[in-house]
Formats: sequence, C-alpha cells, structure tokens
Amino acid sequence: MSLEEQQSDEPAELESGVSRGDELADLLGDLVVGREEHMNAPGLVIRPDEVQDALFKLRDEAGFDHLSCVTAQEYEDRYESIYHLTKFDDRTDEVSVVVPTSKDNPVSQSAEPVFRTADWHEREAYDLVGIQYEDHPDLRRILLPDTWQGHPLGLDYDQDRPQIATLREHANPLEEDHRAAGDSNTMYINIGPHHPATHGVLHVETVVDGEQVVDLDADIGYLHRCEEQMCQQGTYRHQIMPYPDRWDYISAGLLNEWAYARTAEDLADIDVPEYAQIIRTMGAELCRIASHMIALGTFALDVYGDFTAIFMYAMRDREIVQNILEDLTGQRMMFNYFRLGGVVWDLPEPREEFFEKVRDFLDGLPQALEEYHDMITSNEILQARTVGTGVLPPEVAKSYGATGPVARGSGIDYDLRRDDSYGYYDELDWDVVVEDGCDNFSRLLVRMREVEESAKIIQQCVDLLEDWPEDERNIQANVPRTLKPEEDTEIYRAVEGAKGELGIYIRADGTDKPARFKIRSPCFSNLQTLPEMSEGEYIPDMIASLGSLDIVLGEVDR
Amino acid sequence: MSLQAVLPDTISGLLGLEGVLGDVVGGLVGAFLVANIMLIMTAFAGPWAKRKITAAFGDRIAVNRIGPFGLLTIVTDAVRLLSKELIVPEGVDRPAWDLAPMVIPFSALLGFAVIPMGNGIQLADPETGLAFAFAAASIASLGIVMTGYASNNKFSLIGALRAVAANIAYEIPLVITAASVVIFAGSLRMSEIVAVQAEPLLSVAGVTIPTWFAFVNPFAFALFVIANLAEVGRNPFDIPEAPTEIVAGYQTEYSSVYFVLIYLGEFIHIFLGGAIAATLFLGGPAGPVLPGFVWFTIKIWAFFLFTQWARSAVPRLRVDQFLEIGWKGMLVLSFANLVLTAIIVGVIA
Repeated sequence: MSLEEQQSDEPAELESGVSRGDELADLLGDLVVGREEHMNAPGLVIRPDEVQDALFKLRDEAGFDHLSCVTAQEYEDRYESIYHLTKFDDRTDEVSVVVPTSKDNPVSQSAEPVFRTADWHEREAYDLVGIQYEDHPDLRRILLPDTWQGHPLGLDYDQDRPQIATLREHANPLEEDHRAAGDSNTMYINIGPHHPATHGVLHVETVVDGEQVVDLDADIGYLHRCEEQMCQQGTYRHQIMPYPDRWDYISAGLLNEWAYARTAEDLADIDVPEYAQIIRTMGAELCRIASHMIALGTFALDVYGDFTAIFMYAMRDREIVQNILEDLTGQRMMFNYFRLGGVVWDLPEPREEFFEKVRDFLDGLPQALEEYHDMITSNEILQARTVGTGVLPPEVAKSYGATGPVARGSGIDYDLRRDDSYGYYDELDWDVVVEDGCDNFSRLLVRMREVEESAKIIQQCVDLLEDWPEDERNIQANVPRTLKPEEDTEIYRAVEGAKGELGIYIRADGTDKPARFKIRSPCFSNLQTLPEMSEGEYIPDMIASLGSLDIVLGEVDR
Repeated sequence: MSLQAVLPDTISGLLGLEGVLGDVVGGLVGAFLVANIMLIMTAFAGPWAKRKITAAFGDRIAVNRIGPFGLLTIVTDAVRLLSKELIVPEGVDRPAWDLAPMVIPFSALLGFAVIPMGNGIQLADPETGLAFAFAAASIASLGIVMTGYASNNKFSLIGALRAVAANIAYEIPLVITAASVVIFAGSLRMSEIVAVQAEPLLSVAGVTIPTWFAFVNPFAFALFVIANLAEVGRNPFDIPEAPTEIVAGYQTEYSSVYFVLIYLGEFIHIFLGGAIAATLFLGGPAGPVLPGFVWFTIKIWAFFLFTQWARSAVPRLRVDQFLEIGWKGMLVLSFANLVLTAIIVGVIA
C-alpha cells in the first residue's frame, strides 16, 4: 500500500470555506464512519478493521508522517483508541483518528505496519486499558508484569483484588542457560535491571554472538507509578501540577510542568500574562541546560567507562543551574513552580542579585562548553567510538516517533518550540539545532549546541525581565478556583521537553478532574529505536547508543 | 657476576649466616621485605592515592575525614573490606575460583624478584632477568582466565576472553620493544641494563644527560608505555573490566577478601609495569642527589599517576578497535623499531 503514488502537497493547503476535517474526510471517503471535533484537531472515526487502510492513506497521501501518540480509553459503552497524527514538517497540522471498538469484543487492527512506534504504544494500551490489537507483532504487557490480572485503566478494574502471582509464574532468568532457540553460537545476557549503564532500572534482554548484539528487547516498567491514574484523580487547578516533576525527574521539571500547563490552559481557555510567559521560558530553558548537562556527563560515563573528569565537570556546571533554579522555585528537583495561568511567585528578591547570578552563569558557559569540546568532541578516541555508530536513519526515526535531540541528531528539523510555538519562544531570537550525522556523535553534538541556544534564550529573557515595568509584573491570570471544562472536550497538546515531544491528552467529563489523562513520553518512543541502532553492532556501541538516547526511566515507565 | 650484592646475600651477611641456611633465611627475609614494600605502596595507592588523584582530575575533594588528608582511610577501608561477607555464588568452580585471587597478586609480586630497586634492594639478578619479569607478569592472565570461567557468570566470561585477547595482542609488542633495549644493552640481566644506562650521553651546560634508553630511543619508550598501559588494563585499554559494558568483567562475582586480592593484584601489576619501564628506559633507580630507592619509587609512582591520568581523561576503545591497534599498529611498529635498532647498533658497533 505504501507503494501507492504519492500525491502532491495539495491537501496541506487549506481552501477557504472547507475545514481541514472535511478535506481529510473526503480523502478517506468511505473509511470515515463518523466525525468528532477535538480541541487540537479534527477527529475522524474509523472502523476497527480499517485502521491500517486509513492510516496508510493519511501517511502516504496527506503526509501525516508522525504518529505522536496512541491514547486508549474505556467509555461506558465502548472502548476507543485515538491515533494522534501530525507532521514532522508542519506540526500544527493535526488529525485524530478515533477507533471505537465494542465492549464485548475490543479488537482493533494494529497500526504497527504503518508506524513502527505503534508497537509499544499499542502494547501499553492493551496493558493498561485492555484493547486487543489484531496483526500486532508482539502483543504483550509492557509496563505491568506478565502475571498481572486485569487492566488498571479499564472501568471495571477492581483495585482491591490481590495480585497473587507465585514465583513459579515468573520466568526465572537463572533457571536455564538462555540461548536463542536452536542456536548454540549465541549467548543470552540480562543487561540490567541492575547494570552500571542502564540509567535507572531498565532491563535489556540481549542475545549476543561473541561481542556482537544479535537481538535485544528492552523490558521496561520497573518504575511504573500509575502517574496517569494519579493525575486522573487530581483536580485540574492544583492537584495535578506536582506530578509532572516526577516524570522526567532529571532536572527537567519545569519543562514537564509546562506540558500540563499548556494542555490545561488550552482546555480551560486561560490566557497567561506575558510576564509570566517570559519567566516560564527562562525557567524551562534553565532546566533544559541542566538536563543536557546530565545527558552529556552520563554519555561520557558510558563511553569513558568511569566517573571521569568530564562527568564531574558537567555536574559542576549543572550545579550552578540547580542553584539558580532553587532560587527561582525554592526547590532543586520537584519544583512545582508553574500554576495554571502563570507561575506561583515572582522572581526572588533582590532581583538584581538573581539577574547577576544568571548572567554570571551565562558568561561562564562558553568557556565551559569549550572545555567540553576540548575534552570530548575533539578527542579522537571518542570520535572513533561514536562517529558512525548507533546509526538511526531519518525515515526510521520518523517511523518510531523519535523526537527531541534524537530526531534532530538524525537530521530531522523538528522542534515544537518553533514548529508549534508556545510561551515566549516565537518572540525570541534562537535557532533549532540540527545535525545530520544520524549517529551517536551527532546526538551528542546536538545536545551541546542546544545548550548554547538555550543560553541565548535565557539571555534575552533576562534582558526583558530586567526592564519590565514594576507595575506590570503580572505573574498569574485570574483563574477560577474550580475548573470544570465541558463534558467530552478532548485535547492533545505537546511541548518540547528535554528529551523530545512531551504530550498530554485530556478528556474532560464535566467534573473538576480529568476523565482520561494520557502522557506521551518522549523517552518511551525514543527508547523503542534502540534495537534499530544496536542490532549487529558491538556491545559497547549498544551501551553508547543507549546513553545517547538519554532516557529517564521515570518518564519511560511513568 | 652481578655488579652489586643482591639483597638476600646482604641480609645473610648481616646475620652472619652462611651456606644453605644463609640462602634460605636471606631469601625469605628479603622476599618478605620486598613484598611488603610493594604491599605498602599498594595500600597507599588503592584506597587513598587513587581517590585523591582522580578527585583532583575531576574537581572534587575525595577522602578527607579520617586522619590527616584522609590517610587513615587506608586503615578503615582495610577493616571494612576484610569484614565484608564473602559471597560464593552457586555453581562456581570451587578450587579455581578460590585460587584465582591468589594467582593474580602473586604473579605481579613475583615479577619484583628481579627488579633492581636501588640501594641494593634486588632479590635476584639472574642472567635472564628481563625474560623472567615478563614471564611472571603474564601469569596474571592465567588467573584472569580462571576467574572468568570459574565464576559461572557471562559477564565474567566475556571479561576473561577480552583479557586474553588483549594479552596476546599487546604482550608481543611489549616484549619486542623490550628486545630493542636488550640489543642496546647486550644483556637480559637487569643490573647490566641499568649499568649501561648510567653512562653519559651528552653534556649540556654542565648537566650530564645519561644514556637512559628513553632518551636514546624515545620512540621505543612511547611504544613500550602504550603497550604497558594495555598490559595493565587501564584506559583507554580498560577492556577486560569495562564497567559500563560488562559490569566489572572477570571480577564481577568476587566480593570481600577475594575482591581485595584481585584489586591488589591489579595495582601491583601497575607498579610492576612501571618498574619494568623504569628499569628498561629510565635508568632504573638512577637519579641525582636522592638515594636510588627514592628515585625508583618516584618513577613507578609517576607511571601510576600516568595510568590514573589516562583513566580520568581518555575514553575507552571498543574491543575490536583495541585489537586492531594491537595487531595492525603496535605489532608492526614494534618490529620496525626492533629491526631499525638492530641495524643501527650493528652499524655503529
């Protein structure tokens, strides 16, 4: 089907009078059995046995090449999978493909043949909600143990039911000398969940042939904390905001908070004062620098093999950012600084001191980066290790929904701060960093150069904040004490997190709590590309590739 | 025929013992002394100096709580490590698993038997001294193979295989480069190699530069140091342990005393590598003003410092790149060096 002739870009251009939804419905013709209107995009309802046809058409003929997220949910009368499609070239062009399935036979066609990223997303939908996907290559549980009873986000799930699983039911990795079936030349190794290079509790089931990786399967879920369900039990106004800090907990807190803030503000139609947007932008970019510093340090750790000088240098410079963030938010890790409609408080007094601190950091940054370049990127051994290893071609990256520095390291010019602008980014002067090496080295370079761009943004924010008239420092809009968005409003919004596109889907049911809260984690999608980058390579390259993905298991598992 | 009386003879002379009894007592006391000198150095290097050095490279402070400059950490670490439980995993191959942690430090200590440490501290000075030192140092590989297969752990096995591959790839360039020194010195006897280097090379403004082979043939010295770095398994040749790849390589399953012994063996091995390099290229214990033993200590610690520097600043090579450099680079260069040296020495002499 993918061989069908590609049409020109015509559908992307809106004709006056015809809505985008009509246009796409025309394209799909009989495949569309109903229409919905989501706040971010038109929704097309598709029969569960025609999902692949519809998605192929949308991908090949309308250019929707990015399956950002798959949301699954259960209604009183049906199950529903929503495929949130968009384009790498035009992020604001979105469409939601809604696939309802009946209660007694929740079987839907898999989207995996169209978008590889659907593999894990549909496994998650099956695991948590209970929808079955036909034609899926490997429909297993992904976050919960294989022995789990029931689907926790389903409506009739019994939380009190004891989850009794005898030890015998769990596959014991030590029981037998694992080998790939019928092949005595390979060896099975468990890399993780306790291993120096897995950046948390990740378990990579690896089959090696000597030193070469033949097959690998990332086993995740060790850090699953029911974040989605917890958010569904919190009120929009105050009780959800602390959770995002706990997804990507490695310094990226404000970026995550922004994901929720943006979604909920669009949902409840809240305008954020300009002054607060500038503070948000500055805080978020400080978080990005801190996060990229960690990524740099731990990547060096994976390649160098020890807590070497470069790791400590990165930590040293990150510490300065942490201190600034502590001054701003009162916290080093779990900031909880954003509020719907603004931020919780203004910049710390005395303001001059704060600005000076930020400026000192920005002044010292070029020298620090030069030091990193001397030690890392210009090191020939490091180049030998990283250039041309862990190759992720752009088409593959797109198919897996890779975003953030991983996508930009594969030459995909895609950054939500510019392509679907929010906050104060479109008023500022900065560039999207793209490297087209597609290898570990490119991803490293992208992060290092993004630190420079973030510094540019912070510089401009500080300039603006310093000159802001004192009587116009409005940090929060007037927001009602209780937010009750209208029933059945649905929205999917994303921001550029430290690791990529961090999206949130919310469906309101008329109460002050979301009926469905779905998190699209960039790390989850990025981690899926690991087998593509590592199979056939050496173990050390697999470790380096894993490091270059810069995953945080708290965000992968949620 | 040695130039200086070896240590056991000195001791038996001091004690007034003669004959077989003198040999036995002198030999045992001498070996005890030399082994303890090295163990004390390792005690400083392992729990304290290594931490301080890497901390200095990484902009940290490291141990500073117990004793002056944190020196008493050495004592507390010894107590801590010795009081830990020795965990014996299921399915280990018992005699081999127990023997390996002894083989590794033993081989490194054995090598010091022929090293002239200055001030007459040298246990034996056989005609084949250099060959003996290399042979003794290589026994460590045997120990590593034993840890690898006996641990019943796949990471250990990979680590051991890597260690063997590394050893074969780098032992040959190491020995061949050393052979070029032997051509200069005309002897394998350690004391003679040192003695030859004492002759003046040239005199600049009243300062006499001796014929240390590092000055005579700096190329060979560089080759030797690189091969030596691989031999002792430090970055960028940290392949057999490779913590982020294969956990801890061959020593993954070892804990408590056995772990200490393996670690000890590695450190003594670094010192032995430094000692051989110092003897072959840096005039052994020779040096101005200070006594020979002090110079010897400085030289082997300089090599230790060098390994730690490399560890802090240089990335690790991938295993295939590592072997490629060994077989395609080092081996060719070391043979070229040997042939050139032979021709030059042949023409001049």
